Amino acid sequence: MKKIFLIFSFLLLIYMMWPGPSSINQFNALPDSEKSKLEGDTVQIPNVAAYFSNNFRNFVVPFYSDNYQNLVKLPLPPLKLNHPPEFSWTAIKRHTDTTYLEELVYPLRDSLYVNGFEPFEETGDPKYWGATKFEIGSSVWFTKTTLRFYPSLVWVKVVTWLGIILSTALLYRMGRAILK
Amino acid sequence: MIVRLEKFLFWLIIFLFAFIPLYPKFPLLNVAGTFVAVRLEDVFIALAYLVWGAYLLLSKQIGIFLKDKLNRALMLFFFVGLVSLFSANFLTHTTLLPLSLLHWIRRLEFMMLLPLVVTVIKTKKQLVICLLTLSAVVLLVNIYALGQQYLHWPVISTTNSEFSKGLILSLSPGARVNSTFAGHYDLAVFLAMVLVLISTLFFALNRKFKIFSLGLGLLSFWVLIMTAARLSFVAAFAGIFGSLVLLKKFKFILLLAMIMLGVLIYPSQLRDRLISTVTVNIFGQGERYKGQTEDQRIRSKLNIPTLAIKTSSESAETSIFATGSAGIASDITPGEPIDTTQLGVYRSFSIRLNLEWPRAITAFLKNPFLGTGYSSLGIATDNDFLRSLGEVGMLGTAVFILIFIEIIKKIVRLLRENDKFLRYFSIGTLSLILAFVINGLFIDVFEASKVASLFWMIVGLNLSVRNFK
Repeated sequence: MKKIFLIFSFLLLIYMMWPGPSSINQFNALPDSEKSKLEGDTVQIPNVAAYFSNNFRNFVVPFYSDNYQNLVKLPLPPLKLNHPPEFSWTAIKRHTDTTYLEELVYPLRDSLYVNGFEPFEETGDPKYWGATKFEIGSSVWFTKTTLRFYPSLVWVKVVTWLGIILSTALLYRMGRAILK
Repeated sequence: MIVRLEKFLFWLIIFLFAFIPLYPKFPLLNVAGTFVAVRLEDVFIALAYLVWGAYLLLSKQIGIFLKDKLNRALMLFFFVGLVSLFSANFLTHTTLLPLSLLHWIRRLEFMMLLPLVVTVIKTKKQLVICLLTLSAVVLLVNIYALGQQYLHWPVISTTNSEFSKGLILSLSPGARVNSTFAGHYDLAVFLAMVLVLISTLFFALNRKFKIFSLGLGLLSFWVLIMTAARLSFVAAFAGIFGSLVLLKKFKFILLLAMIMLGVLIYPSQLRDRLISTVTVNIFGQGERYKGQTEDQRIRSKLNIPTLAIKTSSESAETSIFATGSAGIASDITPGEPIDTTQLGVYRSFSIRLNLEWPRAITAFLKNPFLGTGYSSLGIATDNDFLRSLGEVGMLGTAVFILIFIEIIKKIVRLLRENDKFLRYFSIGTLSLILAFVINGLFIDVFEASKVASLFWMIVGLNLSVRNFK
């Protein structure tokens, strides 16, 4: 049992310390898109980027999933979690317009939130009353994608790893004492 | 000095047994970002812990305290909670430090009442005084509930952020009594616990106390029906059934079944809600609201509260779903039942199924070892086990389960007790745990301050039997 525990601890440490992106700027821009320069999408909030484009959810989320995996270089893609759209006010920033919010996460490492605002269906039909396209300069776009990346610091990962290992060891001892 | 401290602590425990359930939930100190407030009872509990800490040190019981497996499991639970708190604040960024700390301290506050009571209660006489105090409290709680229903006595509620500021309200037509518990569910959980204990101890009491406990039981049962809390009703019956089986009083199980049948036949809000649970939530029956405009139908499918709502100064056609006339709820959306009882039952289930439970599962997936931290799931999950997995992950949940295993093992050992009253009390506590855990499937009972505190104190009371001189 000790050997299994040591192997598990070692593998977990390698997984948690494995290098990955540390900034939103390392992620690719959406293809055929225009980067938002609106306030709140640039430097006001750390690790936020936004793109106007004609890319819809079916394309955007797998695109960033692949991009994230390529940056991390782990054999498995990030876990995809679907959140209620209104959670974007917490995860991205207050007053974020939204029609979907997904999180790409490598558990115990970092998270990339992908928030999409799609006032129109892919067919061009409006989704709700008041739907408008995005007019940026001379261009008109159907969707806005906002990304927020939550990186984690090395010392935080080390302390969390120590906490998990110590808790697991104590839990094992406690379990044996109580269940015997 | 030590004897004085012991006595002081005993009377402090008696005081807490009365004060926690009886004092209305008036806030003492509001905490930013939540409508959970610090209240007077927290101050008294903190005082009890201070005195208890001094007592443990002076009486040199700290060593014995730390050797006990249950206490060590509790310490481990708080340690895992701290690790989870660290990871939630600095790794997953899913909580705010003050809020998560507040919720961690709340767990500590409620659960440490168990070892506090275990160390302080040392004789059967002290235990009986505690139970008599509790009986008087139950009587007062029930009388106050009836006063709210029939005499318009004040209602203090924490069911929303505005009410929780300590507003003094009165019961509106169709609303359910909460007595001093600030929420009808909390009152129902308390009564379910009480009913299980009374129905067990009834068989161990002399004739005079039997009549008193029967009266108290019937009164509590009446108020439980008035709360119309379906799950607590089922939990109370499951708990009583469990105790009757353990007591080998099989004939009484038939009586219990007849009472249950009677509740299902006799017209009440509880009966209507129980029936609607089956017809609306399981069979999807009931007339549904179709919506007045196309925009309403589209919006109800999209269901994103942050999107703009259609309003018009020229036409009455807006996205507001109903006007509140003709008995239809003003916030009804297409697809929901029109009948208000059915609507309440429908929402009660769908909010769990579509929002709270998936949120907890998502949190668990995000960090399976440690969850996303205390307070990360908002104020409620309405399933304590999913909440535990979501907030403190596998590690925290595993320790929590170990705590229960150890408690149950200790109580089972007490079933060999020669004293009939103490033996029956242990059976009652085991059944109470069953009822509490069933309640935990749909309500966050371990986080509801009043009922959680009382639960750990009653369990502590039972475990203190091991120390009786």
